[in-house]
Amino acid sequence: MNTNTMSYKTKQYLMFAGITTFVFGAVVIIPFIYGLYLTFTSWDGVAKTKPFVGMANYTSTFADSAFWTALGRTLFYSVIAVILVNVVAFILAFLVTSGVKGQNFFRAGFFVPNLIGGIVLGYIWKFVFNRALVSIGSALGSTTLSTSLLSTTGGAMFCLIVVSVWQYAGYMMLIYVAGFMSVSNDVIEAAKIDGCTNMQTITHISVPLMVSSFVQCLFLTITRCFMVYDVNLSLTNGEPYNSSVLAAMHVYNTAFTYKNYGTGQAEALILFIVCAIIGVAQVYIGKKAEVSA
Amino acid sequence: MKKKLLALALAATMIFSLVACGGGGSGDSTGSGDNVTITIFNSKSEIQDQFEELANTYSDTHPGVTIEVYYSSDTVSAHLATKYASNDPYTISMVDAKDVYSLGAEHALDLSDQEWVKDTNYAIKIGDAVCGFPVCIEARGLMYNADAIKNITGEDFDPATCKTTEDFTALLDKLVAGGMEAPVGIMKEDWSLAAHYFQEIYEEQPDPEAFVQSLYGGSADLANNERFNSMMDTFDVLKKYNYAAASPVAAEREVSEQKLAEGEIAFMFGGNWDWSLIKDFNEEANLGMMPVPQSTADDYNTKLVGGGSKYFFIDSSDNTSEAQVAAAKDFLNWWVYEADGNAFVTESCALVPAFGNINADTLDPLSISVKDYADQGLLVDNYNYDPDDHYSIVGASMQKYLAGDVDRAGLAKEVENYWKSVTPVEH
Repeated sequence: MNTNTMSYKTKQYLMFAGITTFVFGAVVIIPFIYGLYLTFTSWDGVAKTKPFVGMANYTSTFADSAFWTALGRTLFYSVIAVILVNVVAFILAFLVTSGVKGQNFFRAGFFVPNLIGGIVLGYIWKFVFNRALVSIGSALGSTTLSTSLLSTTGGAMFCLIVVSVWQYAGYMMLIYVAGFMSVSNDVIEAAKIDGCTNMQTITHISVPLMVSSFVQCLFLTITRCFMVYDVNLSLTNGEPYNSSVLAAMHVYNTAFTYKNYGTGQAEALILFIVCAIIGVAQVYIGKKAEVSA
Repeated sequence: MKKKLLALALAATMIFSLVACGGGGSGDSTGSGDNVTITIFNSKSEIQDQFEELANTYSDTHPGVTIEVYYSSDTVSAHLATKYASNDPYTISMVDAKDVYSLGAEHALDLSDQEWVKDTNYAIKIGDAVCGFPVCIEARGLMYNADAIKNITGEDFDPATCKTTEDFTALLDKLVAGGMEAPVGIMKEDWSLAAHYFQEIYEEQPDPEAFVQSLYGGSADLANNERFNSMMDTFDVLKKYNYAAASPVAAEREVSEQKLAEGEIAFMFGGNWDWSLIKDFNEEANLGMMPVPQSTADDYNTKLVGGGSKYFFIDSSDNTSEAQVAAAKDFLNWWVYEADGNAFVTESCALVPAFGNINADTLDPLSISVKDYADQGLLVDNYNYDPDDHYSIVGASMQKYLAGDVDRAGLAKEVENYWKSVTPVEH
């Protein structure tokens, strides 16, 4: 059987990836193109007609200072959260691969927060910040602790970051654990024999050999942080006074609550482009840094 | 070859399950024979249980008609947008007045031939068509706990003696002196602060429409507006005596309602819908509603603000069959004219009926207050034409004011700037 003909290849493709392609097209590509079309209309989300307005939605997107503030806030949140998540995850991964007693139990334990959905997690932490910490604060007689962190503008962002780190660190830890395990014992042993300290082994041997873990983790955390919505909704809901509205929430509000579907869609597109550029650039740079033993 | 077959079989199962999932949901409710299913969208979370109960029993009295009830915590317009986008609208949707104006012309059935039209003053008309069926009457004002006040002052509380900001402050001082440390609760929710409290500043203008137009045009001077100042004077008093004054924007609604129900605080701005939460804490609470006290020369400090609230409309698109329309119209008539329909409204749901013929003696204390004011003609009309983002943006400014992050002049400026930046709502 000739396996190099066009028809054979097509058949093979359809057989293995046909359904996936169909589903991907139906739920991602087509809605994306349709969404692109909607950015050129002034549709309100319900009306039967979708009047064509050209670039008007893009002009109003650029004029919408609340959107740019939200985007800037998202950038700030993402930078801090991404760094913290990865640092914490890396340290946890190191600890649970260093042979401490019960390390499998700890691995499972750190991973659990990731199994709780963002919405539920937000409500749990809201209770912690609004009630638990406040009661502890008033019991200790401290005025700073007895006002809820969630009611101050800086505090709300701080809470968002804490919760995100708590949620994602366990997941990223698993990827780093896999990275640590993939570094073969031979090279570690060789390094030890050559007189490396533990610290030197990590920085000069393990880390360079697990760059692909870093690339993956950074990609996952960056995209997740930029797109975050669920925790934002249930933990702060943009409060106090819309000072913790992140980009995705602003897009949702513009499109659905304020009924400017076209503008919301245009803002979503810009958010997508920003994410895509950062994500692709990061993967590209990361890949270049990969080495093999 | 065997493997290939297996792969094919797997693929076939997947396609099959995909088709099976996609096929459900829409449109097959047109009904065969005499059986018809109507879907009702309920947007009042506090009566969802009652509606679900009704869905179980309605077909006993109406053979062949099945009701399905849905609720969403999304904004009403956002939720309906998704239903219309998927061509799967509800037969009957419960929405806010502004949604009737924005959706009605295209999506609502004209009900002007229905008998109930003559029995209500609150139906919504668009042009000549009656599109909105009023679900209930709701009004906003200051809720008070009469027992909590009496426990301290020793006399029955008569709201008529507490009309001006000065009277109100004097009473609050008395309560504080009597041992109630902070007699007031303030809901920090943006809809309460902006769409309910601040909204009264527009609604109690001599001509609300003209005032809103002047806000759009930028000629209104809020900072020197009499109503703005008299309402904000009272708000300052509420703020001063707020139990959560230390971090007012972290106050949780449930906690505040509980304090009011149990008499730990005596006053909170709200409306008769708050009863649904209060009753969970104290079903016997002796509450009432009174107008927001204001030092003003006119009589707005003797009136609540409110009117028809929440409206049903019947979908007019091809997705709703004639049988469904007939069953939906029946449902509305059952609501107004049949004994068990009336009982559902006033007893199960504890709503103040918007129809003159419905007897409502069994209502909760807050609703009885509202009905009293309504019967005496002491309700200021709602202004229903705010832009959609008004509650969120003005709400944010009010939260800043509540937290002390902006002064009154700054608040006036922010609200004025907001109105100048939005496109006027056509109506």
